[in-house]
Amino acid sequence: MRLDPPDSYWKKDVALFLGRRLSLAIKMLYPAAIILPVAASGIPAQYAAAVVGLVAIMAGTFGAGESLTNDINDGILVRVALTPLSPYRIVAEILVVNAALDFLQLLPALAGVYLLHPAPPAWVLAATVAVFATLLTANAIGVLLANFTSSPADVLLYATIVLFPLIYLSGFFRNQHPEGLLAALRHLVPFAYMNDALKEIFGLATAASPLAVILVPTLLGALTAAAVCLTAPRLLSPRL
Amino acid sequence: MASAALEAENITRRYRSSGRGVEGVSLSVAPGEVLGLVGPNGSGKSTLLRVLSTAIAPDSGAFRVCGLDGLRERRKVRARLGIMVDRPTHYGDLSGWANAYLFARAYGVPEEKADRALRGLFEHFGLAEYRDEKAKTYSYGMAKKLALIEALAHEPAVLLLDEPSLGLDYTSRLAYQRKLREAAENGCAVLLASNQVDEVEALCDRVVFLHRGRAVAEGTPEGLVSSLEGLRRVVAALRNPVPYAEVGEVPGVRRVVPEGRGLVVHCEDRPGIVAGVVGAIVRCGGDITGLSVERPTLEDVFARLTGEALRGEDEA
Repeated sequence: MRLDPPDSYWKKDVALFLGRRLSLAIKMLYPAAIILPVAASGIPAQYAAAVVGLVAIMAGTFGAGESLTNDINDGILVRVALTPLSPYRIVAEILVVNAALDFLQLLPALAGVYLLHPAPPAWVLAATVAVFATLLTANAIGVLLANFTSSPADVLLYATIVLFPLIYLSGFFRNQHPEGLLAALRHLVPFAYMNDALKEIFGLATAASPLAVILVPTLLGALTAAAVCLTAPRLLSPRL
Repeated sequence: MASAALEAENITRRYRSSGRGVEGVSLSVAPGEVLGLVGPNGSGKSTLLRVLSTAIAPDSGAFRVCGLDGLRERRKVRARLGIMVDRPTHYGDLSGWANAYLFARAYGVPEEKADRALRGLFEHFGLAEYRDEKAKTYSYGMAKKLALIEALAHEPAVLLLDEPSLGLDYTSRLAYQRKLREAAENGCAVLLASNQVDEVEALCDRVVFLHRGRAVAEGTPEGLVSSLEGLRRVVAALRNPVPYAEVGEVPGVRRVVPEGRGLVVHCEDRPGIVAGVVGAIVRCGGDITGLSVERPTLEDVFARLTGEALRGEDEA
């Protein structure tokens, strides 16, 4: 498989990711630099899980949203949209490849966590899948936000507005034992499943099962991504 | 009309924010024909190209590309278009070659054919030795040439070019004109938006004038220019710029436009008029270093039709 010169949109993203060496080194190191000291420390499991979760969410949302708005401002995305490629396919490739690249950045840190906190393989698999589903959802949120603004700074602001309630619902810090409506809403947020899986990895028992943690956020992430792909014609049209 | 490669009918598109755009513009371009779209800044050239490139939908009207409906069959239409927007944009961290290859493949050009086509185009436009440099290191002119390569590599049936030669050096301009003629000879229909009248006169088979969003005239460059029978332009190069109000008062002078340090005087072709103009310039304090009497250009036709200049003074 040839990445350079790229012959498809997703290969272009991979080529750009690999081509910026300093940026690549920083991107690969910073999740580990944040997560590994936390994993090695003795802080309570729920907070350690929250730190890993926050890094994943922020990396996913800000990464996709910011790079997309930059491409929109440059006009290059509109130019790409004028090729015969399906706009839905372009956005789907943006989403999946960005989620995959974010996942690649998180993998060393995740591997470190698994080494420092050995857990049953089912939970390791569940946590890994849930992190990817979280990244996919977070990237979808970033892409969705790029529909409403062409300013990277606005993306950060809007992301904060959207993510804080979701993080609250997921029970990273507060809302640890939700009931009623909050419990029902929590089941709809993919981040919550990742949080449960990471708590299990860090040694805190939850009511979740590995199977549910694998299936539900994957389904929710895929649905969110599919819904965001539907905004492709608007996202790729010129901002006039 | 049935054989037109590009056919637009009553295209209207107004921007709510500014009220500018195009209104009721119809045009057609046959295979192998180069149609110039000429008008000053804000006349609607880029808006019309945006509509015809399927970037934006018109408020009303319709267009067809190679018989395909531009509103309903957009992806098929895009596959037949070669587009160059006025502001070239690329992935700066990819090489020029990688950018062009990505676009060629996006247009469905097979790997080997893309390689062959791009090699020829990079050579033609003098970019071969810079092909592996990152696009962000390219100068404006080089980026324009790269955009031209991206527009041409898939051998489109219709080329939409917005100010393609702006920013190109003389050699590159000639290379671009040669390639455009070659594309037209091979059956490509070209819609060329520009207010570089010398280029339009040299390249275009027909011209449409746009003024404030409307098509105000259409014809061959020769036909349009010959409609100004009896007009001349006196081009005076001056050592220093001078106030030129008095020149405009010479009987028979229609318009005086400063160009750099000199003056372009549009006047009637009547006996003694050149002497009158020269005298007025000298009385204004002008030190004439060069003088020529020329036939009218498309610029003069536009000015005659609309009462406005085609280019602002800064563009002259």
